[in-house]
Amino acid sequence: MNFSQAILVFVVAAPGVVFAVFALLWLLGWTPGERFLSWITGLTFAASAFGITALVWTMASGSTVTVAFGNWFAVGDYHFPLVLMADRLSLPFLALTVVLSGLVAQFSATYLHREPGFLRFFLLLHLFAFGSLLAFAAGSFDLLAAGWELVGITSVLLVGFFQLRPAPVENGLRVFGIYRACDIGLFVGVFAMHHWAGTASFDRGFPTLTGAQALIVCLLLLLPAAGKAAQIPFSGWLPRAMEGPTPSSAIFYGAISIHAGAYLLLRAQPLLARSAVASALVMLIGLATAIHGTIVGRASADAKTSLAYATLTQVGIVFIEIGFGWKWLAVAHILGNATVRTMQFLRAPSMLHDYHQMHSAIGGEVSPTGKQIEELLPARIQLWLYRWAFDRGHLDTILDRWVIDPLLQASNYLAKHDRVGMSWIAIRPSNAAPISIQGPAKQGND
Amino acid sequence: MSVPGWVLHAPFLTGVSVGVPWFAAVLITGCRRHARIIGCVAAFVSIVGSLVLLADAPNSESLYQALMLLFSCLTFSATLLLPRRDCTAGTIGGILFLLGSTLLAYSTGNLLVLLAAWILSIVPFLWAGWFRARSWRPLASLLLSTVALALAIGLILISTSIISINHLKGQSPGGVPAFALLVMAVIFRKGICPAHAWVADIAETGPALPTALLLNGHFGALLVAKLIVPLFPRTDSVFPVLSYLAIVTAVYVAVRALGENSPRRLVAFLALSQSACILSGLESRTAEGIAGAIVHWFVVAISTVALFGILRLLEVRFGENLTASKHLGLAGHAPRLAVSFVIFGLALVGLPGTLGFCSQDLLIHGALTSHRLIGLLLPIATAMNAVSFFRLFTRLFLGKRRTGFTVMADALPRERWILAAGVLFVVFGGLFPNAIVIQRSAEADIVQEAIHTAADTNPGKVDAHPRKVPITAMP
Repeated sequence: MNFSQAILVFVVAAPGVVFAVFALLWLLGWTPGERFLSWITGLTFAASAFGITALVWTMASGSTVTVAFGNWFAVGDYHFPLVLMADRLSLPFLALTVVLSGLVAQFSATYLHREPGFLRFFLLLHLFAFGSLLAFAAGSFDLLAAGWELVGITSVLLVGFFQLRPAPVENGLRVFGIYRACDIGLFVGVFAMHHWAGTASFDRGFPTLTGAQALIVCLLLLLPAAGKAAQIPFSGWLPRAMEGPTPSSAIFYGAISIHAGAYLLLRAQPLLARSAVASALVMLIGLATAIHGTIVGRASADAKTSLAYATLTQVGIVFIEIGFGWKWLAVAHILGNATVRTMQFLRAPSMLHDYHQMHSAIGGEVSPTGKQIEELLPARIQLWLYRWAFDRGHLDTILDRWVIDPLLQASNYLAKHDRVGMSWIAIRPSNAAPISIQGPAKQGND
Repeated sequence: MSVPGWVLHAPFLTGVSVGVPWFAAVLITGCRRHARIIGCVAAFVSIVGSLVLLADAPNSESLYQALMLLFSCLTFSATLLLPRRDCTAGTIGGILFLLGSTLLAYSTGNLLVLLAAWILSIVPFLWAGWFRARSWRPLASLLLSTVALALAIGLILISTSIISINHLKGQSPGGVPAFALLVMAVIFRKGICPAHAWVADIAETGPALPTALLLNGHFGALLVAKLIVPLFPRTDSVFPVLSYLAIVTAVYVAVRALGENSPRRLVAFLALSQSACILSGLESRTAEGIAGAIVHWFVVAISTVALFGILRLLEVRFGENLTASKHLGLAGHAPRLAVSFVIFGLALVGLPGTLGFCSQDLLIHGALTSHRLIGLLLPIATAMNAVSFFRLFTRLFLGKRRTGFTVMADALPRERWILAAGVLFVVFGGLFPNAIVIQRSAEADIVQEAIHTAADTNPGKVDAHPRKVPITAMP
């Protein structure tokens, strides 16, 4: 293993090791202090940032750094390759993740001071950074899927960070459901690549697929990409995710997680380029999301939701760029959008204070920006559009009515079917047990 | 000091692993004191015996030794996890009796001994002194499965007069009727649709940890691995029916779990749905499917016992009427139990970084390779299970912190160490899965090769008139 390879391994593994050590120690009964934890976190991300800088330096000639650890596991003809890769596409994402995670960690050390979930937040931040770095540095779609799932679960746990209130917890559950449903496409897509091409690795060139196969794989990968990037029709989870603490909103939904879907499509660009239908679909979804995002964002009443929809609009445009095949424009767009949104999210809690400072600096109110474009529409359409935007495009209602309610009805029907079987022989249905907690049956440890 | 050769002999070690728990069960029933200590010692002896057996077995033939070790460890952990309230001589005695019976079933190569072990394993759930089920469906299913297995073995013995499983391999003994009866035994014992409801019933009304151990003996999967696959390899046209039923069960139960509010029933549904995947993997006839199924067997067993154990600890601390219909906020009182619960649950549904991810990955590849369309249902079932589990976790542990407890204990030291050991296994197994997968892969290759060899000889048929071979003595 040469110097560049060692650095790549260090950058990816460092947050994972920190997470594992602190989690295990906590599980065995030791809780680190805030200062120590934030110091270790800062040190980790600073070292990783230096590592990334060195990696950029060594890769200046355009070379690719690949570290092959063999197979994570292998059975028969099937193998799960453990290959890390830093190329011109993954390096910007790796750098973005390390820098923004470090900044958000430093911000959070003050922002979450004396918060009961301080340790939990930092552990999840490390796990998220590890998952993201793993996904971005993966040399195969198999490994990318593993990192992808870690990003998903940490995202959900941070949405429900303020666990004493039911709303964040329920919203976390909704986000989790959408992530899991969409990730089916990722697993089946990876299987399809293994089945048709014998591999899902791209460290030594992309899997060779026919036009029809490429179309199917692209459509399968589009599902998780759209889910993670909150594209239409999955946009409903994004405002719900704003229940999490502001630093996690910044790093997840302003910067890294929201752009992971775009990264997946950028990785699959050689396949997309072979399928005009898939490319057109990507553009269509991006266009619909951009329009949806800008309209709904205008009717949002709180700062974080407005910012989330502003991000969504930009990600929609990024999807259009990917559909056109403008890969590097999309990468530049992502870097710019992620950086600006992170800053905006982190400043959101003190937005009023910023306005007051600005007003006092300029000696009065900021002049209005002028007419809004929607004012050109007839009044009735404006009203209809406002109601549509206020209900966030009815996306949640559609999801509830056409997916969640039928599933719950089916579940209740099956439960009733089970109970009928029991009532035939006059045994009390076990489900009829009281459903509220009346307090402990017995006090004591055991 | 040298160890005498006979001590390391397989029959002696098997006898010790099986006999010591039975002896301890009798001892506890008699003296009724120091039940937990005696239980732990007996389970530990079984662990040591199984460990030596596993170390001596060749890599490609170590499945049953590995399962013996797994079940001994599960019993040891369950004995330590049992709350003091449940730690009676009856409970520990029943658990040890179940341990001995299960190890006997794993270790035997004899049809009659297998039948005896099968019957003995359900005795604790039939006898009122131990864990007799309080509703009819568990009793009916356990008895029906036993009758079906007894009839199948009877048919095999009538047609071949052979009682050694090794000598019956590839012969399709007893023909279609024996095969059908074995499948029925699997359906009833494993809780495959339409005989699925008993699993949730016994989980709800029975004692949590003994029930978890009963379910995680996985006798249904054992029957598939030990009898159906090796004895009936030429069943290409019939065997997939069991796989389809398993996949349908996985989806059916996953849908059923979405609206369930009883935590015990919900965990039972999740365990049932995930363990149905084991059957579909074993039937997939691909190396990755079979290896995935065997690894998943380990994951489901460890996760399910831990989840039932944690649920029982919560019931003892916070009241018996736990529900998933509203937020209970128990994480505030028991954060380590909450974290252990979420790790085991996510391992059960295949989170990366746990062994469950690898087993699910292999299983899904195997199922999709062998059944392109119906195999798609497996990832869908797994996704629904993940949502159900996460709902249960959020409802039990998150939400407004409950007040009014004088004592709010998190995991006690003995519970903490056992749960930490389980967490380490699923996590390190997930980080370095090849150590586990590679051994199961060797067994999977052998099974796959045997199936394909037999299928090439006479594809698509079950022998109606199997060959007769001479009687062989019991091993």
